[in-house]
Amino acid sequence: MVESEFPECTSFGTVMRFALELERVAVVVNSELAADPRLAAGAETFRSLVENHKKRGNLLENTRREKLNEMVLEPISDIVRENYLMQLDLSKDADLKAAARHAAMIEETSARFYNDSAKIAKHLLSEAARIMERMAKENLVNKAKLEAL
Amino acid sequence: MAVLAEVKKDYGKIKNFVNGEWIDSKTSKFMDVVNPATTDVIAKVPMSTRDETSAAIEAAQEAWWSWRETPPISRGRLMFNLKTIMERDFEDIARIISQEQGKTIDDARGETRRAIENVEVAAGVTSLMMGYNLEDGAAANIDEEVIISPLGVFGAICPFNFPGMVPFWFWPYAVAAGNTYVIKPSEQVPLTTMHMVKLIEEAGFPPGVVNLVNGREDAVNTMLEHPSIKGISFVGSTPVAKYIYKKCGETGKRVQAQGGAKNSLVIMPDAKLDASVKNMLASFYGCAGQRCLAGSNMLAIGDIAEPLLKKWLDESKRIKVGYGLDESSNMGPVISAAAKARVLGYIQKGVDEGAKLLLDGRNIKVPGYEKGYFIGPTVFDGVTPDMTIAKEEIFGPVVSFMRMGTMDEAIEFIHKSPYGNAASIYTQNGKWARDFRYRVQCGNIGINVGIVAAMAYFPFAGAKGSFFGDMHGQGKDAINFFTDRKVVITRWY
Repeated sequence: MVESEFPECTSFGTVMRFALELERVAVVVNSELAADPRLAAGAETFRSLVENHKKRGNLLENTRREKLNEMVLEPISDIVRENYLMQLDLSKDADLKAAARHAAMIEETSARFYNDSAKIAKHLLSEAARIMERMAKENLVNKAKLEAL
Repeated sequence: MAVLAEVKKDYGKIKNFVNGEWIDSKTSKFMDVVNPATTDVIAKVPMSTRDETSAAIEAAQEAWWSWRETPPISRGRLMFNLKTIMERDFEDIARIISQEQGKTIDDARGETRRAIENVEVAAGVTSLMMGYNLEDGAAANIDEEVIISPLGVFGAICPFNFPGMVPFWFWPYAVAAGNTYVIKPSEQVPLTTMHMVKLIEEAGFPPGVVNLVNGREDAVNTMLEHPSIKGISFVGSTPVAKYIYKKCGETGKRVQAQGGAKNSLVIMPDAKLDASVKNMLASFYGCAGQRCLAGSNMLAIGDIAEPLLKKWLDESKRIKVGYGLDESSNMGPVISAAAKARVLGYIQKGVDEGAKLLLDGRNIKVPGYEKGYFIGPTVFDGVTPDMTIAKEEIFGPVVSFMRMGTMDEAIEFIHKSPYGNAASIYTQNGKWARDFRYRVQCGNIGINVGIVAAMAYFPFAGAKGSFFGDMHGQGKDAINFFTDRKVVITRWY
């Protein structure tokens, strides 16, 4: 079972915390899938996603540290946590197709979250918004890779 | 949402840092350091004696000459070391700020970034303090040059609202320029400075170059009177800023003393309502209104008043008040029980003088933190220029909403204030914005920006009763404050 803690998004800090949690969950899920011998045919893809999401986590951590400025530290009210919550449990006997669909669902949800957050961040922190847009695009590329398995 | 972990629950007795050593104060007087959200005592801070403060100043004086002889490039390298260490400890620093000061973790992270930016700018000291010369500048075959030199020992007396940032408006520039330093943090928030000084020590600054003395009046007065101190930087209230300015004048010290504020935000009829309101929320409620750049008076011009007030009330009601280490909080507590009582006194005064209290933050309850010094967003309508809440610094999350007919009227009101820290205008009209910038006699002007906080490479300005001195903190102003110009005229036979 994948433990997760997604916060309410009321501030820049909580949006970034939510994003970091998405990346952490993606690392955990893809690591488990990569280690499952029954899914060996997809192991390389899952491993590459683990690396990708670790890198993205670091990028987000830096963004949270460096792009924050109190001049634009405004409350956020348009990101509804419930719209991005996911069922993270995967049946133990899931085959490769089901496992890939599961991982793709995380990518798709992340893409949605980043696109929505980027719209909010645009007038607050345009640098952060650009990073979020880039991450959403990357999520969709990842999703396509998984769907090809 | 889980509350972020505190770096420590209890920091014990705070020590001073003198000549490279952490020393217990010999005083019998200690004050409690209180987490304003939980009201837990998290440390004991010593009220250091005059002798202890003198010892720190003398250690700085002793260290000065060899530090002055350290090449600027080497001094700058230590700033780079410090920057790296501060980045490593970024989250710890932010969490300590939030724990002892009460501000939200987002605000605290922003403050930590500001501190680091000052170190980054000071690291460029080789360029910042370069002098200038002119061949044949005095006459044929007689050259003239200006050398920019450090002066000796400087000190900072710091406030409670920005324990991570305010010391960094000053000491990195002073020290990078070849001076040595004594920091006296606010006795209400000594933990951030203690942590920072540990990082300064780790970065490799030689003993005596940066010293830390905790305390109150005795420490302050010793710094103001000691002949080895060449200058004082201060941030706090206007009465104390005036006192420090006067005392430094008497003892022949340089001084930059930042005082209080009463900032007005002017909203013109063409302002973008949604964006302006969002931006102003951070100005009025950020740091629970305990910023010298916080918005306090909201001056609505013409027919924007009604839609603005409605939108403002809607958004104010959505501000989540809570513990700063809960990332979902938009606003934390004020610093102390006394501060809370003071703000509540102003709210009562507003009611008594006839302002309409549309949103009352006095009885807010924060689940799990019932004893904390919280005040919710508070909005008064019908405030007139003669009311106390329109004139005096409240230093809390209280909005005085005023209706005015024209920008001229607003500027006239701003100019009647004894303060001159900041003022902002919200408009889409370049002419109005230009006029406002040109005419308003405040040190920091915002155009569609409610918190006019200068970046590290610009001076943190201020005027009238908000600033006493000539040169401000940060950037080139700071380098000028901490250095002198020596003119050399050279002739060879």
